[in-house]
Amino acid sequence: MKRLVIIAVVLFSMIPIALRAQLDPVSLALRAYQNKDLPKAKELIEIAVGDDNFNGITKTWYFRGYIYKDLYKAAKDSKSQNEAVELCSTAIESYSKAIELEPKGELVEDCLNSLKYLSSTLYNDAAFALDANKFDTAQILFDNYSEVIKMINPNLDLNQRIIEFKLYKASKYSYLFDNPRPSDNRDEIGNNVVKLYEEVIQLDEENISANYNLAIHFYNQGVNIIENMDYEQDFETLFAIQAQVMDLFGAALPYMLKAYELNPLRKETLVGLSGIYFGLNNIEESEKYQAELKKLENQE
Amino acid sequence: MRGIEVKNFLLAISLIMGLALSSMSQTSMNTMNTRAKFKATYILNFAKYTEWPAAYKQGDFIIGVVGDNDLALNLETAAKTKKINSQTLVVKRFKSPAEVSKCHLIYVAGASTSAVDPYINKAKEYNCLTVTEGKGLIERTSAINFVVVGAAMKYEMNKSLFKQQDLIVSNTLENLATKVIN
Repeated sequence: MKRLVIIAVVLFSMIPIALRAQLDPVSLALRAYQNKDLPKAKELIEIAVGDDNFNGITKTWYFRGYIYKDLYKAAKDSKSQNEAVELCSTAIESYSKAIELEPKGELVEDCLNSLKYLSSTLYNDAAFALDANKFDTAQILFDNYSEVIKMINPNLDLNQRIIEFKLYKASKYSYLFDNPRPSDNRDEIGNNVVKLYEEVIQLDEENISANYNLAIHFYNQGVNIIENMDYEQDFETLFAIQAQVMDLFGAALPYMLKAYELNPLRKETLVGLSGIYFGLNNIEESEKYQAELKKLENQE
Repeated sequence: MRGIEVKNFLLAISLIMGLALSSMSQTSMNTMNTRAKFKATYILNFAKYTEWPAAYKQGDFIIGVVGDNDLALNLETAAKTKKINSQTLVVKRFKSPAEVSKCHLIYVAGASTSAVDPYINKAKEYNCLTVTEGKGLIERTSAINFVVVGAAMKYEMNKSLFKQQDLIVSNTLENLATKVIN
């Protein structure tokens, strides 16, 4: 008799749960997600988030994170980049909310793994955006990436990644500077190149790539002026052009000397120094670095 | 979900490595002889601001070059579109003093008198404006000598050597020289 009572109680208690499960927007959202109906899953999970009965539950945010993450993956190729970034931000916010609700819960590890995945995706998408010359989008993606990384590991030093990103961005601007499109403002692009390399040097004054590339950027600008110069110039114009070019070569020199100081055996730097000094009409110094280069090549 | 996560995470990491490597790519240096074009432009101006005897005002305007291929190349490029006082510009490269023939202007590379003199002496058989780049060469060898002032390329002038070759130098050319020997 006692056993029958227990079974009856259990069955009684199960009826509302089963019934609730059918109407529960989180469960319905999960079912839609499993059926790959992401728009429906999104609609349902948003109902759950707006309902005080569900928005305090970890799983609501956990599933929301997955739904938005998949929406982001789907949107990346088909929708506008800004819309995709928003979806990604929502996924990040959802996972972090799930962690916040149950910092020691069983879903934390999975949430962190998802955030790690999103951070990597954001980083790569930032790079792809740079490849497509979408500089503003790339910056937003990278900023989001930084936020996620800080969330995953607040003690991690992000400097190296920031430097990598800035160097890559600078190299893309640099390419555009050399190969401008009709709509490009070349001066603005050139300023961006200088600003980015200077920012890297500020973060790491011993960064050889930034020092070398900034030197080459200034040097190439000088060379471009010479290349585009007409042979028929009155003396006044010729002197002015020469002064402008010398300023650029002069600006290149300290960065190339720094690159040399950081690695005196780097061939490109020796070629660079020889070229800059030659351009500055200091043949003696130019030949000195040429000789170092030859010596290095003979040792190989 | 986890299996897919790990796979995607590894893929993402490998892409990050790719980005890290690609960011190391460096800007390529534009290699050109930066001095040669300036020198060519100066030389064309020397020609513009000098007057030759009447017999030299007809036919081609010939510039001889010794020991500087990049300069010769630049002058050859200029010759495709530019004229000197309505005369067609022709560039001749001389490899030995014996090759030196009639020319309006000759540039001889080389810092020492012993290297430069044989060419200059041969060129002086004509009404030729002699141009060099070497310390002290302005004293007795060439009419115009390139010098470096600060970091800029400039020139000095020996007026007596202009006269010796029956060449008339303009005030503009004289005024802009860093040093003039009369």
